[in-house]
Amino acid sequence: MSQVVQALPQGHYRLRHVVKAEVVKILTLPSTAITLGVTVAAGLLVTVLVTHAAVANGFGFDSTQEALTGMIVAGLTLGVFGTLLITAEYSSGTVRATLAATPRRPTVLAAKMLVTAVTTVVFSEILSFVSFFLGQAVLSGRGTPTATLGSPGALRAVLMTGVFIALLALLSFGFGLICRSTAAAIASFAGVVFVLPLVMHTISEEAVRYLPTNILTNSVMSTVNPGGPGGPGGIGPLSPGIGLLLMAVYAAITLGVGAVLFMKRDA
Amino acid sequence: MITAHQLTKRYGATTAVDHLTFEVPPGQVTGFLGPNGSGKSTTMRMIMGLDVPDSGSALIRGKPFAELAWPLREVGGLLDAKAFHPARTARNHLRWLAATNDIPLRRADEVLDLVGLSSVAGRRAGKFSLGMSQRLGMAATLLGDPGVLLFDEPVNGLDPEGIRWVRHFLRALAAEGRTVFVSSHLISEMSLTADRLVVIGRGRLIAETSVADFVGRSGRSAVRLVTPDLSAFAAALDSAGARVGDRDGDALTVEGLTAAQIGDLAFRQGLRVHELTPLTASLEDAFMELTQGEVEYRPSTTMSAAGSGREE
Repeated sequence: MSQVVQALPQGHYRLRHVVKAEVVKILTLPSTAITLGVTVAAGLLVTVLVTHAAVANGFGFDSTQEALTGMIVAGLTLGVFGTLLITAEYSSGTVRATLAATPRRPTVLAAKMLVTAVTTVVFSEILSFVSFFLGQAVLSGRGTPTATLGSPGALRAVLMTGVFIALLALLSFGFGLICRSTAAAIASFAGVVFVLPLVMHTISEEAVRYLPTNILTNSVMSTVNPGGPGGPGGIGPLSPGIGLLLMAVYAAITLGVGAVLFMKRDA
Repeated sequence: MITAHQLTKRYGATTAVDHLTFEVPPGQVTGFLGPNGSGKSTTMRMIMGLDVPDSGSALIRGKPFAELAWPLREVGGLLDAKAFHPARTARNHLRWLAATNDIPLRRADEVLDLVGLSSVAGRRAGKFSLGMSQRLGMAATLLGDPGVLLFDEPVNGLDPEGIRWVRHFLRALAAEGRTVFVSSHLISEMSLTADRLVVIGRGRLIAETSVADFVGRSGRSAVRLVTPDLSAFAAALDSAGARVGDRDGDALTVEGLTAAQIGDLAFRQGLRVHELTPLTASLEDAFMELTQGEVEYRPSTTMSAAGSGREE
């Protein structure tokens, strides 16, 4: 043990220090490899199964959308990843160590959100491209039409799908901030994103198009008439841009509410 | 130096900490003593900025915790032995902590060595025993080599060897000039570890003093006397104005006279003395006396264990 308490360095801890700590945290948790691994495996498996079973019935066959189908499942598991980044802190008590080391909560939250956003965007963009190419490879073996990134709307769909999946993870991160318990947060996320559509169908067909999974499937992943009239009763899906914007608003809502609670609550 | 001034925290109708004012000076171990539920942990959480006081302040070297430039380099706190992710290794837990305050990551291995955990640095912390978890928590407090250290019930659940290790560890830190504030409900342990005491009950300050003063303050002092001339001695003591308490074989407990006065009395009266021992109240006695009525949860009736029929 040193005999003299060291002199303090200049300045104070900053966002970059907390970001570095968050990166170390993510890299040293086994659940990171597990949830991301499951996301890759489940997402690509679904893409392969769907494209392998694809039958081109001529009208309206969207090979880009077919090849991105696995990203819907990826959205669910990446949501679990997003939730765990915050709820694991609470369930383990690590949050108290975090706040004792860096008590300025806005800095802590900014670092966490930044690391979560960058990690999930980079990850899901890569996965989106892999899913697209893998799907096209399977489709070409089936003799159906295939797409390239040069096909109309394909690059846009692939890029936006990646962003959309990352936004799902951030939405889930927000639920984690609000609930603080892993089970409650995942239940809220899965409930809102994957169960609510089933209920909404019976209430209002018109409102269904505003739900995340419908935006993802019919607006963001689709290259055929996105934003055009087409659905029953002339109710078409939202345009990709509007849909993505709406998803960003959803994520901002849970993140905003979660952030306010994070600032106010005792740790 | 830690200073609490009129520190108050309420949970609904309950006042957990009630206008608490005290100081924790450097270079000493200050024990924070109180019954369960008396507000010790809440007070420490407020010092560490985890809970926000309803009024009053807790300052570290004159600053609120949230305003410290480099918290880990100024304050080391062990409030919860299990405040780590169970799947992360001990070394990685310390590495991310070090990163927060721009401390070189190799410091993780140095502090693991200080607490004797080098051999399990790569093991998942969730597999640690309570004693090892406490050591990991202590390693974390030392990462930034801070001048102020807080420990909440650090010996809870430790075996005798672990307790002894913690005691030496805390005393060594204080001897280096650091401020050491350690809470416990184990009074006997505090009497061995602490130089000073801050005693609270129901969130209020009961005493802030040295261990010796605290024991003396309870006011009870007696002398144990063993003599074969029991009845003659009792009569002589009585006429000298002393109170003769418990009788146990040839032994008497005498209050109201010092050992010297009893010895002189024996010499004058020609009475035999086989043993004469001044009894000071233990820290435990003093604590019980001063926290009477301050215990939050107390059995409503005194249970007579094993049919002894004794009433307290």
